[in-house]
Amino acid sequence: MNIDLAVNALVRQLELEKSDICSKPINETEIKLSAQQLIPAVETILDAGIWHLSTITCLQVADELVLLYHFWHSKGLTLCVTLETEHAQINSLTTLIPGAEFYEREVREMFGVEFVGLTNPSPLLLPDDWQSGFSMRSEKPNKTESEA
Amino acid sequence: MSRMVIPIGPQHPLLKEPLSFLLTLEGETVMDSSMRLGYVHRGIEKLAEQRTYVQNVVLTERICGICSHIHTTTYCQAVESLLGLEVPQRGLYIRTLMCELERIHSHLLWMGVLAKNIGLDTIFMYTWRDREIILNVMEEISGGRVSHAVNTIGGVRNDLTKDQMNMLKESLALLRKRVEELLRSIEKERSFKIRTQKVGYLSLDDIKRYCVVGPVARASGMDIDLRRDAPYAVYDQLDFEVPLMFEGDVWARSKIRVLEAVQSIHICEQIINAIPQGPVSVKAPRRVPAGEVVSRSEAPRGEVVYYVRSDGSQNPMRLKVRTPTLTNLVTLPKQLKGLQMADVSVVIAGADLCIACGDR
Repeated sequence: MNIDLAVNALVRQLELEKSDICSKPINETEIKLSAQQLIPAVETILDAGIWHLSTITCLQVADELVLLYHFWHSKGLTLCVTLETEHAQINSLTTLIPGAEFYEREVREMFGVEFVGLTNPSPLLLPDDWQSGFSMRSEKPNKTESEA
Repeated sequence: MSRMVIPIGPQHPLLKEPLSFLLTLEGETVMDSSMRLGYVHRGIEKLAEQRTYVQNVVLTERICGICSHIHTTTYCQAVESLLGLEVPQRGLYIRTLMCELERIHSHLLWMGVLAKNIGLDTIFMYTWRDREIILNVMEEISGGRVSHAVNTIGGVRNDLTKDQMNMLKESLALLRKRVEELLRSIEKERSFKIRTQKVGYLSLDDIKRYCVVGPVARASGMDIDLRRDAPYAVYDQLDFEVPLMFEGDVWARSKIRVLEAVQSIHICEQIINAIPQGPVSVKAPRRVPAGEVVSRSEAPRGEVVYYVRSDGSQNPMRLKVRTPTLTNLVTLPKQLKGLQMADVSVVIAGADLCIACGDR
């Protein structure tokens, strides 16, 4: 199963619009999802034989946090979920992909995203007594792409 | 039987870098374990947002002291892609050459660390002696043994001279003999096999579930290698094999790394014979157009991922780095469970961890 077939399966099962899918440089396809669609989307991807989650990137754009789940199977597939910065919360992938644990723990402590169901939410990189907030959040939030 | 909790680290004799373990033992058997990272966390991703794209070449090179070149390769690839730059072929050949020299160096270094932990100091002495051959070549080419500063956005900084090529040829011929000798030791040395076979086992299913990468994945039968599966630089023009084993233990990981070193020597020899004439770089603008890119490459320890997002300015809006150590570390509790205490050092050393890479 390749990435293109997995994308078709996602479009069918989640009834995605064409505008939700875009191509990025170096053979990468990005799909925009809502937070509720993430778990069904990952289940579809796993069923399609794409098991490798390379990492999870989080970034702050204006007053939103963008989560990018980078999958790979000869080509890249990125699932993009946008959350409100205040009370950012999403389901954990660790029950489906145990290898996501460190990625989610890092995003949790650096950006303050709460992963519901994360088996081990203890700090990964920062000290246990860290009290200086979420260090990767911007003091001056970045502009949106259209503003840039 | 009562349980005992033993803390190991963060400073300990197993690794030069700090990593803390808490082992729960019943007698001599490891029942549970946990890890604590972050002792060399330098906030590199945040720092990168305050540096220009060119300054970040220097910064990313300092993420790792062993595979520094692959970090700049992956980063430069990402920025070149956003800029739409076509790097000259000679520049890409030199970039690839350094990647493979670094792979040989990394595998020999790791083999020495494992041998030292097992108590086989002879193999440690031999591998680190042979590693000097590669370090001397890299120093001759770049001026640096650890940080090479070869890459720049748009290609590489310096061309290869004929004298450097001749030195490289002679060094590779000597190294080939030494690495083949090392391979024979791994296959036949009884004491090495006793300590490493059936230790730290990971099944193919574990590899998939934990998204394991690199030689650890290939030693459990997972046939992945970005150089072949999603070629970058000039790997699509080179002929090489991806060694694969199925035992899934520390012995298989040892053998597969030595087999990979043999393949890397083969790749370097091809590069010397096929490298085209021409420029080694093109000029890159300081500002990068708005956009985002995911760049991947195969480091000695496996897949490295860089995500770069530009807002059109001179600094990246976001630079995300995921190193293979971070991915492979997740499996350590699984590997350690049920082992005897004496095998813990073999598993930790056998995982080929680079904590500076993992912490960033």
